[in-house]
Amino acid sequence: MRLVFLLACAASLVAQPIEFNRDIRPILSDRCWTCHGSDAAAKGIRLRLDQPEPVAAARQLIAERIATPNKAKRMPPVHTGAGLSTSEIATINRWVDAGAPWQKHWAYLPPQRPAGQTIDSLVRARLTKEGLSPAPEASRETLLRRASLDLTGLPALPGEYDDMSYEQAVDRMLSTARYAERMTAKWLDAARYADSNGYQTDGERQMWRWRDWVLNAFRTNKPFDQFVIEQMAGDLLPYATLDQKIATGFQRNHRGNGEGGIVPEEYLAEYAADRVETMSTVFLGSTIGCARCHNHKYDPFTQKEFYQLYAYFHNIGERGRYFKFGNTPPFIYAPTEPQQTKLAEIEGRLTAAEARLRPGAASGPLTWKPSLDLTTPEKYTPHYTARFTIAARFTPLAATANVVSKALPEAESNGLRFEMKDGRLQVNLVMRWLDDALRVETERTLSPGQNYHLAFTYDGSKLAAGIKVYIDGKPEKLRVLVDELNQDFLVKEPFVLNAPDVNIYSRALPPLEVAFLAGAASGPEATRRQFLETTDAKAWAEVVQLRREREAFLDNVPTVMVMQETGKPLDAHVLIRGAYDRPGDKVSPGVPAIFANKPITNRLDLARWLVSRENPLTARVTVNRFWQSIFGVGLVKTAEDFGAQGEWPSNPELLDWLAIEFMDSGWDVKHLLKTIVLSQTYRQSSRVSPELLARDPENRLLARGPRFRLDAGAVRDQALYFSGLLVERVGGPSVKPYQPAGLWKELSGGADYVPDSGEALYRRSVYTFWKRTSPPPTMANFDASGREICTVRESRTNTPLQALNLMNDVTFLEAARRLAEKIMAHPAGLAYGFRLVTGRAATPDELAVLLDALERHRATYEKDEFAARNLLAHGDSRRNTDLPVADLAAHTLVSSLLLNLDEGITKE
Amino acid sequence: MKRRDFLSAAAVATLARGATDFAPKAKRVIYLFQSGAPSQLETFDYKPALEKMRGVELPDSIRQGQRLTGMTATQTSFPLVPSQFAFKQRGQSGAWVSDLMPHIAKVADRLCFIKSLHTEAINHDPAVTFFQTGFQLAGRPSIGSWISYGLGSDNKDLPAFVVMISQGTGNVADQPLYDRLWGSGFLPTKYQGVKFRSQGDPVLFLKNPEGVTPATRRSYLDDLAKLNTFKLNDTGDPEIATRIAQYEMAFRMQTSVPELTDLSKEPDHVFARYGPEARTPGSYAANCLLARRLAERGVRFIQLFHRGWDQHNHLPSQIVNQCLDVDQPTAGLIEDLAERGLLEDTLVVWGGEFGRTVYCQGKMTADDYGRDHHPRCFTVFMAGARVKRGFSFGETDDFSYNIVKDPVHVHDLHATILHQLGVDHTKLTFKFQGRHFRLTDVHGNVVRSLLS
Repeated sequence: MRLVFLLACAASLVAQPIEFNRDIRPILSDRCWTCHGSDAAAKGIRLRLDQPEPVAAARQLIAERIATPNKAKRMPPVHTGAGLSTSEIATINRWVDAGAPWQKHWAYLPPQRPAGQTIDSLVRARLTKEGLSPAPEASRETLLRRASLDLTGLPALPGEYDDMSYEQAVDRMLSTARYAERMTAKWLDAARYADSNGYQTDGERQMWRWRDWVLNAFRTNKPFDQFVIEQMAGDLLPYATLDQKIATGFQRNHRGNGEGGIVPEEYLAEYAADRVETMSTVFLGSTIGCARCHNHKYDPFTQKEFYQLYAYFHNIGERGRYFKFGNTPPFIYAPTEPQQTKLAEIEGRLTAAEARLRPGAASGPLTWKPSLDLTTPEKYTPHYTARFTIAARFTPLAATANVVSKALPEAESNGLRFEMKDGRLQVNLVMRWLDDALRVETERTLSPGQNYHLAFTYDGSKLAAGIKVYIDGKPEKLRVLVDELNQDFLVKEPFVLNAPDVNIYSRALPPLEVAFLAGAASGPEATRRQFLETTDAKAWAEVVQLRREREAFLDNVPTVMVMQETGKPLDAHVLIRGAYDRPGDKVSPGVPAIFANKPITNRLDLARWLVSRENPLTARVTVNRFWQSIFGVGLVKTAEDFGAQGEWPSNPELLDWLAIEFMDSGWDVKHLLKTIVLSQTYRQSSRVSPELLARDPENRLLARGPRFRLDAGAVRDQALYFSGLLVERVGGPSVKPYQPAGLWKELSGGADYVPDSGEALYRRSVYTFWKRTSPPPTMANFDASGREICTVRESRTNTPLQALNLMNDVTFLEAARRLAEKIMAHPAGLAYGFRLVTGRAATPDELAVLLDALERHRATYEKDEFAARNLLAHGDSRRNTDLPVADLAAHTLVSSLLLNLDEGITKE
Repeated sequence: MKRRDFLSAAAVATLARGATDFAPKAKRVIYLFQSGAPSQLETFDYKPALEKMRGVELPDSIRQGQRLTGMTATQTSFPLVPSQFAFKQRGQSGAWVSDLMPHIAKVADRLCFIKSLHTEAINHDPAVTFFQTGFQLAGRPSIGSWISYGLGSDNKDLPAFVVMISQGTGNVADQPLYDRLWGSGFLPTKYQGVKFRSQGDPVLFLKNPEGVTPATRRSYLDDLAKLNTFKLNDTGDPEIATRIAQYEMAFRMQTSVPELTDLSKEPDHVFARYGPEARTPGSYAANCLLARRLAERGVRFIQLFHRGWDQHNHLPSQIVNQCLDVDQPTAGLIEDLAERGLLEDTLVVWGGEFGRTVYCQGKMTADDYGRDHHPRCFTVFMAGARVKRGFSFGETDDFSYNIVKDPVHVHDLHATILHQLGVDHTKLTFKFQGRHFRLTDVHGNVVRSLLS
C-alpha cells in the first residue's frame, strides 16, 4: 500500500514544474550538506552545495557524479547509505537542465497573504489540483463534539447547544475556563513544565503560579505577541508587574540538577542552552540547538550565532547546582490574589502597630535584650530551612577553636559549627563535606585573649547570602567558601557550648537586636527600641508578633523561579565543541544574520523582535501548532523544524494566509481558532474511502475531516466528566490523583507517591502533579510528552497497555460505576449512555449488543453478588446503595465498555 | 497501512529492509545493569602493585589533571587504597576474579571481560542516561526501545522490551532510577520498555479488577470488538482495526504475563542455582530467574537494574552485601541459559555506569574506605551469543586509573551489542528535528576483537 502512495506522489511531482524549495532543497539538505554544507571547509571539502553560485558552476559535475556507475566516484558515497533513488536523480537532472534555479529557504521569506482567499478556497485549490473533492459536512452532533473537544478538551453533551447556531456554540466554548485549560495543557508540553527538578533525586519544585499565569492569559485572550514578550522578558518591561515577572518562569521550567558532585559550570551551560533551544523550537521552528557544537549542517546558523543567542539567557546569577528540593534562585514570592489581599492586610496591621510606637526619651544605659523567641540548646534543633540566631560571649585562646556546635565529632563532619579557624570566625552548615555544605568566614581576624560578643543569623534560605555574622554587634564582611547546602544538616549530637552566655533564638534577629545583645546599640532607633521594651512591652510584642505572622504567612506563599538579570553582565563565549570548559571567542547578544541585521541588544528587544513583522517564523510556527492540535498533523508536519531538513508545507499558501490573518487580528488566538473551526474544511465528515485512505493516509490534503485518538489528558478528563466526578476548579497547586502504589518508591527507595483524597482526585489532568522521572502512568501510556525538553510534535500510538489502562485502572472503573448510576437514573438507559459518550444515537445493532451484554452480566452478577460488590468497590467515592447490586454491577461493566469504545476516545 | 510506516523515510527504510542488516548472533539481550557503579578494583580489575602503595598520594602523572566530581575535587589528599579483597585466577582462562564473586569465578570461562570500558560522565544521572540512551541528557530513546523499534517482537503475547528493578543491600539509600532510562525518547511510546513489577500488577493495570472474571472479560472483549467493528465499517479508519487487535493482545498478556511471572512450577534445584533470594519477589535473584523465562519466550531486550553500588563510604562492608546480591544469581542465570541451549543466542551483559577511584574518598582506616566516581576505566563482562569465552580485553595501568590498551567506549559497546543482534548501528536511525539520530550518535565502532 505504501508503494502505491509513493508512486502517486511521484506521479504528481512529474506533472509539475520543479520548485527548488519543495523538490530540490530537501534532497540537497538530507544527502549532500552533511559534507558539502556550511562547515565544508572544516572537513577540507571545497565544493559547497548550499550556495547558488558554486552549484550553478558545478551543474555538469553534479549530474555526472550522482549517476555515475563507478561506485568509487558516485555521490553521495555508497558507504553512507544516503544514495539517491532513480526518481531523485531524475528530479535533480531536470533541475540542473533548467539552469539550477535557486530560492532562499521558504521559511526565511516573509509570509505573504494570498489575496482574496480563505482557508476553504486554498484547500479546495489544492484538492482540485489533485483531482479530489471535499467530503460532505459532518453531522451537527459530530461537529459539536469535535469542536468542543478541540476547544475545551471535553466533549459536547447531548442537547448542550440545542438553542444555538454552530457559531454561537463555538463562541460559547471559547468563553469557558475549560478552553483556557485545554490551551494551557498544550502549552505546558512546549514549555517543558513539571513539578519536579528532573535529575537524580528529582525533588519537588513549585512552578504552578507560572502555570496559572498561562491559564489566565488564555482565559483573558491575551494577544499572543504579548504572551510571548512577557514570558521571554516580562522582568525587563518597564515597571514590571508581579504577573509579568511570573510569566518569565517559562524560561525556568527546564530541569535543574542537584546531584552531589556535579560540576556546576557544566549545568549552567545546559540551562542557558535549554532556553535557546526551547525558544528556537517553540517560536522559530528552528533546530538552532544543532549549532551548539559546530555550525549547523543544514540551516544557516553558525556556532557563533548559537552563542550570541545564549548570551541573552545566561546572565541571571543562577547556580549550576540546583537545590535538590524546592525552588532555586532567582525566585520570587508569588502570592495569589487572595494571598495578596491577606498579605496587604497583615502589613497594614503591622504598619499601624509600628506607628503606635512612638519614640520616647529613654534615660540610662541601653540595656534591653530581645526576649521574644529566645530558646535553649536543649529545646531547639536548627534546620536548613529554618530561621535562627546563635550568639555567645567568647574569648579565643587559640587561633582555632569551637564556639558553639551541634555536629558529629570529627573535623569537617556533618552538623552546625560556629567556630574559629586560623583566627577567622566561621559558620559551617554541613550535610556532607564538601559537596553538600555551606561555609562562610569573616574577613577580619580575632585576637587571642580578647573578649568578644559573637553572633550569626540564618534566614533558612540554604544560601550563604542568608548568613550574617556579627562581632561585637557589628555586621562583618564575609567570604563565601562553600555555598552548596542542599539537604538538612541534622545530627543527633547535642549542642556543645564552648562559651558562657550563649543565646539561641528561633528567628533571625535584625541587626539592631544583635547590637543590643552585644551591648553595642546606639542612636535614636536604639533608644526607641529600648524605650519600647522597657516601657511598652506589650506594644513591642505586638510588633514582633505581627512580623512573625508576616514571615509565617510568606512561608506558605508559593514562590516561582523567574528570570532576573544581574547588574553586571557576564561575558559570553563560544564554547568550543559545546564543552562548558572550553571557552572560545567572546560574543555579544544577537540574533542570527539570516533573521536580522540590526543590533538586538537585550532579552526584551529579542522578545519584541520575535513577534515583530521582521521575523518570518513566529506566526507561522504558532498557527501551525494550533493547526496540528486540531487536524492531527501540522501544515508543516515537522512542527519543530521549519528548516531545510523539515518538511515542505502541505499547503504553503494556507500556512501564510493563517500567519498573516493571525498577526493582522492582533495575534488573537480565539479569532484564529474560531476561523479554523468555522471553515468548511474543518466541518467535513471524517469518513474515508479505501481509495482516499490509500492516496492520503495522513489526511494531508484535507479531503476529509480529522479523526484521531484523544490525547492522554482528554481521555481521563472526559471519563470523569461523563461520570459526574469531574471537579472543575481553575488553577492552584498541582494535585495527586490515583496512581498504583510503589511507583515512586521502587525507583528511588525514598518516599512513595501519596494520592490526595476528595476533590483533588477528580481535577482535570492539566493539574496533575508531574514528576519527571516517574510521570503519571496514564499520561505516559497515552503518549503524553515526558516534559524533559520542549516538545511540540504530537505523537499517537495504539498499544495493549492503553487497553489495560482503560479497562482496569481505578480511575476508569470508578468513572464507569458513576456513569452506570447516571444511566440507571435516565429514562433512556443505555441509549443515553451511548449518546453521552459518543455524541450520537446508537444504531439498533449497537443498542442490541449493549442490551445483550447488560443481560448477560446481570445474570452473572445475580448469581455472584460477592463479585458484584467487589466490582462496585473501586474508587473513593461512595456508591448509590439504593440501587440493586447486581444491576449496578452489570451497568458498570457496560459503562466501562462505553468508555473503552474506539469512538469514545476518538475525535471524529 | 500501519501508522508507523509513515514515521519517516528512515523508519520506513529500517522496517522495509527486513529488520536485521545481517545474520544475527543474538536473538535477544539480557542486560544486567549494576546501578550506582560497582568498583572494578574490588571485583575484576586486579592491581597487585597497589598493595605496597597504600596511603601514597595518587601521582599527578597518573591523574593528569583529569576532572573529578565536586565531592572529592577539593579533597586535599588523594591516598591510594588497595582492594581489601583477595583475587585469584579462575578456570582454564585464568581470569582474575576477587573472592567477592565466588560463583561468577566458577563461570569465568564462559565470560568475556572488558577491562577498558570508559565513559564521559562523572555523575550518576548523566552517566546512567548515557549508558541507556547514548546521550547524557534526557530526551533520547533507550537502547531497548531502539532495538524494539528496529527489530520488533518475537512474541506476539509479550512486549519486546521488559525492565525489572531491584534494590541492593549494599547502599540501601542508593541512587534513584528514572522512567526515562527505558523510555522511548523521540520514538513513539509503543517502543518504551514495559516495567515488570514485583508489587501489585506485574504490568501496570494488567489484572482484571476484583469482580471481573476472565470469562466475563472475554465476553466483554467480544462485545467491544463487535461495536468497534461496526464503527470500522462505517468510517473506514484502519486505526480501529489496530485498536481491536491491541485489546486482543492485552487479553493475551493477561494470561501470558502471570504464567510467565509465576515461579511456582520451577523446581527446587533451579531455585537453588539462583541462590537463597530467588524466592523473594523483586530480588535481583528472582529477576534473574524471570529473565531466563522471558528469554525462553523470545522477549527481545530484557533489562535488570540492580541498585546499591554507590560506595562512596564504607565500601568494604557495603560491597560484600552487594556482591552477595548478584554473584550467585548472575552465575546461575548464565549456567541455566547454557544448560537450556539459550546462551547460544542470548547476549548477557553485566556492568554499571562508570568505575570507582583508586584513591580513597573520605576517611581511610585499616579496614574502611570509600571510592568516588571514576569514568576513565571500569569493567563490564558479557557472555553468550558468540562473544569470546574465557577472554579478557583491554588493560588499565597499575592504578586502574587510565586505560593503557584497547579502550572501549560506551558507544562501542552499544555498536557491538547491536551488531550481535544483526543490526548495523549506523543504519538504525530515526529522523527527528531534522537529523537522522542513532543510538551511537556519530560515534561507535564494533569491537570485533570480542567476537568469535
